[in-house]
Amino acid sequence: MRARLSITIAAVMAAMLAVSVPVFGHHAFGAEFDPNRPILLKGKVVRIEWVNPHAWIHVEVTNANGTKEVWMVEGGSPNSLFRRGVTKDSLKIGAEVVVDGYQARDYTLKRANGRNITYPDGKKLFLASSAPDAEDKGK
Amino acid sequence: MRTRLMSLIALAATLALTLHISAQAPKPAAKPYTAPRTPDGHPDLQGTYDLATLTPVERPAGAKAALTNEEAAKLERNVAAQVEARGRDIAGERTAPPKGGDGSTGAAGGVGGYNNFWLDPGSSYTVVNGEKRTSLVIDPPDGRVPQMTAVARQRALARFVRPTSDATESRDVGLEPAGSYDNPEQRPLGERCLLGFGSTSGPPVLPTYFYNNLHQIVQTKDYVMILTEMVHDARIIRMNSQHLPKTIRKWMGDSIGHWEGETLVVETTNFTDKTRFRSASEDLRVIERFTRVAPNALLYRFTIDDPATWDRPWTAEYTWPLTNDHIYEYACHESNYALENILRGARRREADAAKKEE
Repeated sequence: MRARLSITIAAVMAAMLAVSVPVFGHHAFGAEFDPNRPILLKGKVVRIEWVNPHAWIHVEVTNANGTKEVWMVEGGSPNSLFRRGVTKDSLKIGAEVVVDGYQARDYTLKRANGRNITYPDGKKLFLASSAPDAEDKGK
Repeated sequence: MRTRLMSLIALAATLALTLHISAQAPKPAAKPYTAPRTPDGHPDLQGTYDLATLTPVERPAGAKAALTNEEAAKLERNVAAQVEARGRDIAGERTAPPKGGDGSTGAAGGVGGYNNFWLDPGSSYTVVNGEKRTSLVIDPPDGRVPQMTAVARQRALARFVRPTSDATESRDVGLEPAGSYDNPEQRPLGERCLLGFGSTSGPPVLPTYFYNNLHQIVQTKDYVMILTEMVHDARIIRMNSQHLPKTIRKWMGDSIGHWEGETLVVETTNFTDKTRFRSASEDLRVIERFTRVAPNALLYRFTIDDPATWDRPWTAEYTWPLTNDHIYEYACHESNYALENILRGARRREADAAKKEE
């Protein structure tokens, strides 16, 4: 029985890790962003709006011809980040970041979802949700 | 979507474990807890609670009601490992995601959402009477919401229901039919920052299984207020009062309360047709029972009574653990670029279509 149980657990873990795709938020992402306009942005953070329902990170990108444009990148609700100890200093203005996502359906706007936002070395900006000790709960 | 998928997988595992492991011996009933009192002598329920949990509303057909501690610990470790894996570094030198969508299906519509670091879904199963529960629903005993009546199914089909108090606001897998984006009033209440998604404001109050699961209870002799983190909804319960006339209807209904010993009992009626908990009728009646069961936890139980929708009442319960965390102001509407982007996207499509016709 133990062996079968281990196999079940292993299979479940494998399945869980395999489905690591970004998630959605309080609104219809498909209506806001265009699947046919994928983007990759490399630039520096020039402004952060720590606001609900979605935080927006403004990234200044330098184009091939030397011109600059600022993109707004949609993130999630900042409340959880605040509770995890993230402060204004956790992501500094001027930090270089890489963003992949999809542009807004109104393509005249320089706006996109932050499907992945990382530093240039691929490190995520903040640590993912840390699991609180389950034993503390419900006693 | 991933959150929902994760719950499904956890439940599949629950089901698998059910088949392999015999049930745990029942525990003897613990001595009832007596809560501290407010100045007017009633149990003090005040505090901020974190409702996040891995336990879904319903369990899969045939699954058992509770996990052993060992089973729960394994599943919780799996979830923690998954969260950790999603937080790992990825390639810095990468390309844009694929044109046409990233292959993900469901509500994110192939464009994905945003980094996992924003999220705070549950990390453990809810514990009630020492049991790690596999569903919030406890009656019917199979842990599943009863089938809707034929009349209710017809009604749900006939009406274009904007999910408001019960479902996520993100059902829109791609684009909805013409007219859905004509004006802000056409959009769901959650998308408009008027109520949170997932019945977080309730009643009944459900976990969002996503983020922003904090609720604060404030009590006076005559009123109890429940503040919901998302979208900053405050429900005010009048103690020992009468319901408003049936002509006065409210998004979160009209809540009146009274004490039954250690328990705050709240009855809510007078819902509007703008909020439909699981496609309930306007005659929905929700009975909630709040009981402090430990120094750091409250047991929340609710019964749904709506004969026009379900042929029998049904009941669910879960533990609300107290937290020292603070609820931050949500102020959702002021920065709701998402709604603007959605409506502007629709205007852009219309303009492009008009150009093509010329």
